[in-house]
Amino acid sequence: MKELFGKLIMNYPYFAAAILFMIGALTVLTRSDLLKKLIGINIMESAIFLIFVAGGNIRGGVAPLLSKANSGAVYVNPLPSALMLTGIVVSVSVTAFALALIVRLHRAYGTIDLQRIAELRSEVAMDDSNHHT
Amino acid sequence: MTATIIPDLPVFVVIAPLFVAFVLPTFARRMRLVEALVILVGILGFLGALYLASLVFAQKGSPLIYSLGGWQAPWGIELKAGNLGALFLLVVTGVSLPVSLFAKGNLAQEVGGKERSARFYVLYLLLGGALAGMAVTNDLFNVFVLVEVVTLSCCGLVSARNHPRAAEAAFKYLIMATLGSTLVMGGIGFIYMITGHLNMEFAARELASIWQHSPHVVWMALSFILVGFGVKAAVFPLHVWLPDAHSTAPSPASAILSGLAVKGYLICLLKFLYNVFGSALMQEFAVDRILVLAGAVAIIAGSILALSQDELKRRLAYSTVAQVGYIVLGLGLLNKQGLAGTLFYLASHAVIKSTLFLAAGAIIAATGKKKVSELSGIGRKMPLTMAAFTIGSFGLIGLPLFSGFVGKWYLLLGSIETGKLLPTVVVIAGSILCATYLLPVIRRAYFEPAPDTTNADWQDPQDPGFSQKLALILLAAIVVLLGVVPGPLLELAKRAAVELLLLQ
Repeated sequence: MKELFGKLIMNYPYFAAAILFMIGALTVLTRSDLLKKLIGINIMESAIFLIFVAGGNIRGGVAPLLSKANSGAVYVNPLPSALMLTGIVVSVSVTAFALALIVRLHRAYGTIDLQRIAELRSEVAMDDSNHHT
Repeated sequence: MTATIIPDLPVFVVIAPLFVAFVLPTFARRMRLVEALVILVGILGFLGALYLASLVFAQKGSPLIYSLGGWQAPWGIELKAGNLGALFLLVVTGVSLPVSLFAKGNLAQEVGGKERSARFYVLYLLLGGALAGMAVTNDLFNVFVLVEVVTLSCCGLVSARNHPRAAEAAFKYLIMATLGSTLVMGGIGFIYMITGHLNMEFAARELASIWQHSPHVVWMALSFILVGFGVKAAVFPLHVWLPDAHSTAPSPASAILSGLAVKGYLICLLKFLYNVFGSALMQEFAVDRILVLAGAVAIIAGSILALSQDELKRRLAYSTVAQVGYIVLGLGLLNKQGLAGTLFYLASHAVIKSTLFLAAGAIIAATGKKKVSELSGIGRKMPLTMAAFTIGSFGLIGLPLFSGFVGKWYLLLGSIETGKLLPTVVVIAGSILCATYLLPVIRRAYFEPAPDTTNADWQDPQDPGFSQKLALILLAAIVVLLGVVPGPLLELAKRAAVELLLLQ
């Protein structure tokens, strides 16, 4: 039992990732505020970044720079960190695009609450159909 | 000359559209040049894909491999065009060429201005390039990057119309799709953690020998990948974003989104399941049963939802949900007939759904009517458009001599081979349901009198212009052609199925 706890505590980055992931997913799925949804997505992505980077880390390892000073050392795997640079770039572009859409929606409806937008839209649709008949 | 081109073909079909996409904005003011470039790239891409398929066909399955930057696998990123890759490349290039011909017609009118339609083409080519990349990539993280390029360009296309509803649909799509790709990225992370490889073949080899040591991580990876691609490919309960996104997009975009983008995700899912996890592991983790069940539910639920829509494009969008069900169901059959049928069905649905969306787009552009109930007598006003729509519908229902039939036939054979009742019944019931939501449109169009033309509200609609007619004729011809002579494509699908299932 003690050993198990030790292992669990050793792997704390994964717990942090799991908690972050759930916070993010909950925010995305339950909030109707567009900005909060976007923040939720970003939190979720951070959780995955953390999983990758933690997976490549080795306790006591050093940065993989080949030199005489650290010739005998254990190197940390640099690939997951490099992949996550790509992941962060993707995440930034998604965020930028989503913010642009939010600006457009705010201009059109004057609010960034999804429920409020849906209400406004149905009102407009009702007006349209009244206008036609 | 040809000898130097052959090894570079897999990368050429990906790079050409991407390159032109980034060059395009410099000509944004010369619309004719932009359109000519887009169509030129389309033709070049199609010829390249055709040549590549013929090479793969002649080589009996030994794939063309290209190592990016000269770095060999497992270190470098590998592009591999085997049977599956060649098949999907043909589908992508074969469908996107007629769609770009169609877009030439009235895109500016639909998205609101020339400036905007130039931007539309940029996204369109990005999407085409990324989809071609999905066909040939053999690297896990590369899949993620391509998935994101497809997602972002799709969202851009959805928001192309200058209307707040388009922005809203695009935002919903973006959030759901990013949720999906985050899950996919997580799944890739888990696979990398236990195998240490990003190349699909190396990861698969490693996974086959060590999965018993960490079954929980394999579970995590599988569920992340399944749900991730499930959201992106709109597998039934995860489809909520699709109808809004696909019905508010401009018609050429709807055609590409429903016809190709969804298929791209399904091809990626297929590659993960068969090339990385392998069919043995799929059985071990009951993934095959999950897929059959999810597919069956999607077919029935999607069809019923489609039946209840009065707006034509929404009906077609929900129909996509049902048709995705067929492909997902086929992925779980795990036999040669079933998988070959799935691949053929994937190809034929890409063509059929594009035909239907483009015909619907032409009708909506000409009449301004969006609802099925308002389309009485349209068949006599726009004979060619409605003929294309009818051919597409017959294909989707799966009448003999149309392409959908061949795919459904093999799916049915595969279902019978598994000896299970559920897929067999659902495959047949799905066709009947499909007829119930498409045939009323045709009946109304041909057999009901058109409303009084003196009414000011109803301007006399006509078939669209030349390039749009050409696009509809081409696509409808492919639907019939694949139904009458399925030979080469079916053979490619069968070989891909044999390769994926690791039969000899």
